[in-house]
Amino acid sequence: MTAKSWLSLYALLIRTSIKSRMQYKFNFVLASILAALIQISEFLMVAIVLYKFGAIQGWSMHEIGYLFAVMTLSKTLYRTFADEVHHLEKYLVNGELDQLLTRPMPVLLALMPQKFRIMLGEVLQGGFLLWWSLSGMMGSGQVGWSAVPQTLYIILTGAVILFSIGLATATFGFWTTRITELQNLTEDAARTAAQYPLTLYPKWMSSILLILVPVGLVNYVPSLYILRGELGWWVLPALAGAALLCLALSLKFWQFGLTKYQSTGS
Amino acid sequence: MIEVQDIRKSFKTPVVKEGRFSGIRTLFSREYRIKEAVRGISFKVDRGEFVGYIGPNGAGKSTTIKMLSGILHPTSGEVIIGGMNPHRERRAVVKRLGVVFGQRSQLWWDLPVRDSFDILAKMYAVDEADKVRRLEQFTELLDLQAFWETPVRKLSLGQRMRADLAAAMLHDPDVLFLDEPTIGLDVNAKRNIRHFLKLINEKFGKTILLTTHDMDDIEQLCSRVMVINEGRLSYDGTVRSLRDSIGLPTLITVTFRGPFQIPESFMATGDSSTQARIRVTRVLDQSVTIEANRREMNTLEIVKELGKWGELDDIDMQDPDFEDVIHKVY
Repeated sequence: MTAKSWLSLYALLIRTSIKSRMQYKFNFVLASILAALIQISEFLMVAIVLYKFGAIQGWSMHEIGYLFAVMTLSKTLYRTFADEVHHLEKYLVNGELDQLLTRPMPVLLALMPQKFRIMLGEVLQGGFLLWWSLSGMMGSGQVGWSAVPQTLYIILTGAVILFSIGLATATFGFWTTRITELQNLTEDAARTAAQYPLTLYPKWMSSILLILVPVGLVNYVPSLYILRGELGWWVLPALAGAALLCLALSLKFWQFGLTKYQSTGS
Repeated sequence: MIEVQDIRKSFKTPVVKEGRFSGIRTLFSREYRIKEAVRGISFKVDRGEFVGYIGPNGAGKSTTIKMLSGILHPTSGEVIIGGMNPHRERRAVVKRLGVVFGQRSQLWWDLPVRDSFDILAKMYAVDEADKVRRLEQFTELLDLQAFWETPVRKLSLGQRMRADLAAAMLHDPDVLFLDEPTIGLDVNAKRNIRHFLKLINEKFGKTILLTTHDMDDIEQLCSRVMVINEGRLSYDGTVRSLRDSIGLPTLITVTFRGPFQIPESFMATGDSSTQARIRVTRVLDQSVTIEANRREMNTLEIVKELGKWGELDDIDMQDPDFEDVIHKVY
């Protein structure tokens, strides 16, 4: 099969998943509204943090808002397309992965479109925060227009990195079956930590967040260059390299994990 | 078509820890329980064979099927299907496989049956003309028309199984793996399914491997049967010779009118090796229960012999059930 036919199959499966969810319209609408409400409350929390502390260790309010926004948007991109990777546990516990393994396509490609999410609340929240912080910094002359395409670029590489972390974490499920707690650590806690400048943390912790669970590469490292002109232009291509490396490693790990799949009794 | 070389599968489950951070602690724990589900199975299935695969619950049937279809990786040993290894070339192999799990649907639960077929056709790159032609055939054989537009979740079990079978056949696979396709179905639905399976085996020459707990499936469909018990094959051969090799006796209950006399030599004794071909197992008032193997002695001979004992009133014969034959093998 060519890349094009894979893509059209993928699109078909996404359409199918939306169609399936639309069978339960009430639930779909309610879920979307609730998700948006949660996002609003999260946004209020961010606003309070920014208002209360303002600058943190030399990072201005706008810069911290930027860190938040990039992280939110990268996560949104990852979860829109690959939410089921995060929910692999469900497939392991009741053996639903069996069906996907009998399909003549890569398991991930079959898994990802199982449930396509439209995360409007997150997009709006992240988008608003990004607009607010970027326009603030443009107003003060800290950044120019070139920051916009650069930001879109790092949202993309960030999504790849978050996806890789999510996939590697989920893969542990082939050994342990239950993975929620590990996900709390590597996905939720790590991501929340990286919503603030890593300089806040002790050295060992920021090293973990840059190397072992590289959430720092999603927003912190690129911000150093884009917002503050530190490091150098090479940061951008290096990020793409790092993202691809993470992706390759986690895919390799995933492939290995699949051979350890245990299914369930019947 | 299918070659299996000494496959084994042992499941290694970590002993789950209790308390705080149990997940993390389990992850790094070195305590395991090992369960050997399949312990060295080898067989070969030729093109066009219809093989029944039976065994008690937990014997390793489903595990074997899952290894054959590339879902589980064997701990050791090798599987070759149509010249390819389903673990190294999973995608290429599953293109030529049709898999049906009776307990679980392959179809899209919330969507009309028709949609599932459209998606599968795209997924297996079945071209439109072939799809239409095959669907016409299946619709006729399995009567899909009646529920074509119904969401899968609203189908009855029988309808769902018919739809699942047709779906597994849509890409015209060479080999079909069926894991309990008749489970939970009523007599009528079972008959429909069997009829379809027989047809695709005989007319279209599909190689079929079927697991079941229903011995009628085996008797009516399979030319060959394999019995698995505790992870090992305990029998592999024809259904007939399986029955013969066990040679369960026919159970006969006779009621005599008036007095009767049972010759001494027929009474069941401690050593059952008496040359008697009829064994008396129970005497209750006027009725006597005996066992006889009808391969050694035909019905007429038995009745004649019994006639000598006294005046016959009624005779009731019970052939050994295939279920019982199987129990004996297990």
